[in-house]
Amino acid sequence: MTKVQLKGVRKEFGKFVAISEIDLDINSGELVALLGPSGCGKTTTLRMIAGLEVPSFGQILFDDQDVSEVPVQDRNVGMVFQRYALFPHMTVEKNVMFGLKVRGTPTEEIKHRLEEILDVVQLQQFRHRFPAQLSGGQMQRVAIARTLITNPSVLMMDEPLANLDTKLRGEMRRFIRDLQQRLNITTIFVTHDQVEAMELADRVAVIFNGKLAQYDAPDALYQRPNSIEIADFMGADNIYEAQISAGRAKTAFGELQLDQLSNPVRDGVGHVLLRAEAVDLLLEADAASENVIPGKVTGREFFGATVNYTVECNGETVTVNEQSRRMVDVGQDVWLSIQPHRIWVIQDTA
Amino acid sequence: MPTPKTTELARHRKERMWMWLQLLPVLAVLTVLFGGALVLAVMQSLGFAPWFGVNTFPDFSYFAALWGGGFFWKSLGLTLYYATISTLIALVLGTFLALALVRHFPSKSLYKYLYKLPLMIPYTVGIALAVIMLGNGGMLSRIFAFVGLIGDPSEFPQILKTHYGWGVIAVYVWKQTPFVTLTLYAVLLGVGRETEEAATILGANKMQVFFQVTLPQILPGIVSSTLIIFAFNIGAFEAPFILGGGFPDTLPVVAWRYFNDADYTLQLQGMATVVSITLIASGILYSYLALYRRYERRIGRN
Ligand SMILES: Nc1ncnc2c1ncn2[C@@H]1O[C@H](COP(=O)(O)OP(=O)(O)OP(=O)(O)O)[C@@H](O)[C@H]1O
Ligand SMILES: [Mg+2]
Repeated sequence: MTKVQLKGVRKEFGKFVAISEIDLDINSGELVALLGPSGCGKTTTLRMIAGLEVPSFGQILFDDQDVSEVPVQDRNVGMVFQRYALFPHMTVEKNVMFGLKVRGTPTEEIKHRLEEILDVVQLQQFRHRFPAQLSGGQMQRVAIARTLITNPSVLMMDEPLANLDTKLRGEMRRFIRDLQQRLNITTIFVTHDQVEAMELADRVAVIFNGKLAQYDAPDALYQRPNSIEIADFMGADNIYEAQISAGRAKTAFGELQLDQLSNPVRDGVGHVLLRAEAVDLLLEADAASENVIPGKVTGREFFGATVNYTVECNGETVTVNEQSRRMVDVGQDVWLSIQPHRIWVIQDTA
Repeated sequence: MPTPKTTELARHRKERMWMWLQLLPVLAVLTVLFGGALVLAVMQSLGFAPWFGVNTFPDFSYFAALWGGGFFWKSLGLTLYYATISTLIALVLGTFLALALVRHFPSKSLYKYLYKLPLMIPYTVGIALAVIMLGNGGMLSRIFAFVGLIGDPSEFPQILKTHYGWGVIAVYVWKQTPFVTLTLYAVLLGVGRETEEAATILGANKMQVFFQVTLPQILPGIVSSTLIIFAFNIGAFEAPFILGGGFPDTLPVVAWRYFNDADYTLQLQGMATVVSITLIASGILYSYLALYRRYERRIGRN
């Protein structure tokens, strides 16, 4: 249970700037995801919090105390490495017990906690194996068990699910979430998968090129990204240039009425973001609907539960996602409709 | 009808024969070069030397004379003492150096070249350096006298030509520390820093990290490098010959004195010495390896 704060943290490797400036507040017991493309500085940020890397500038605070002078082994943090970093010469059991042994925990207590954690991560039957004899998912769980057994006050995980297959990923996600909620540990985990970040995290910190681009709850990040890059990274399909005036957005395919209450806008240029699942597909023009745009279906992708339509509207393509209760044929004339409060406008803050 | 299993076996047999065929040239060279020399040495030490007009094969009197004389055991003791002490010192220094080299520090690239220098300089030069530096009247004694620690260079404590063998050990260590460093540095690069970092985060201090995480992982490198330098030290001749304390000499020097004697029949006695060195060295090295294998099996490596 520790509050973690990064204040104006910058990290340079020689002349190379890995992190240009990051401010981050992580509440006690919160689960935060660091999300960003490869090489943006996620691992570096974790390593600085752990104390493996010293920030070039700025401060890192645990519960409002500067930890710059606290050596790594006294920070009581836990870290699950991107490549696990298990001790290859020790069995699963010895790997897991290592943290308690070096801290001089009494043998009886070590034994007790070992059994407990092996049950939690379901590794009882592999306890005498060496890391080289385990699968990726098993190694992963050893790495997590080895860290959790020490009761860290901050738990960090560097792409903990990257090397697992889809089914195991799902299982491990739920496992991590349950565990985190049960133990209520402040947790920071790194991922470059936006779905994973949204599913697991209380808040997501998006990092681009060593800068914090946005730090928000998953739904806010998804519905209300503050830049086109973030919208793009969060998997948005429909982003269009627009001219905004008097609460209306003029786009290549028509004018859209905006909802000034949920999304105050300035007059001028900007971009509108239409989430694919927020757009309704109508088979005939409906005067009662708002923001109706005529178009023609030019493509269809079937995913089982949902289906994606590509709709051509006056030269622009709009992707529409709906539940596959019905099928609309390619070539059919359709009308798109979107409610004003579902439209998000991105404008430069300048 | 033949089952698939039979054909598989036949293929394996063919592959195995092909493997032996490919190995044949290497095996032949090994057998002639090493096996041949060894057989000849053993035969000579047992009294077979018709070219000297001696042929009393099989005759164990040369071994009996050698092992019966008290000086042999003293010589053996000295040989093992020089070899072991210098191997241990080189191991400790080499490990420290290798650990330092995987970390970042200023002018590291310069040190990476500097430490390899002794590897390229011949032993004899090292011995000459030892004489110049460490002898009475050598650089060190003059410096001591100059700063007034001693009245005259001749009062400098005897480092060379004593049975403590500090000169011999110094030369071995000077030459072999870089070798250990080089080997362990390569192993450490392969091991990487991550397990050490993980151990630190889990709360281990520097000693615990080294002894429980780093050392077990670099052990194969430690075993192979110490094995090589120890084997060399047991058989080395120049350094103890020039820098040693005289009688009793180390075994290779004893052997050389026999070979160099005007009485050429003593060559057989020399051969008995050489064969003894070989027996003892291989016994020690074999036990060392066996011990290490047992440890590896215990921690589950195959
Ligand atoms: N020790 C170092 N020396 C120099 N540059 C480094 C060092 N460590 C990281 N970098 C650089 O800093 C940048 C950020 O690296 P980091 O490992 O934090 O990326 P990441 O976001 O974790 O990427 P990935 O998703 O691929 O793991 C990269 O461009 C990397 O090359
Ligand atoms: Mg990374």
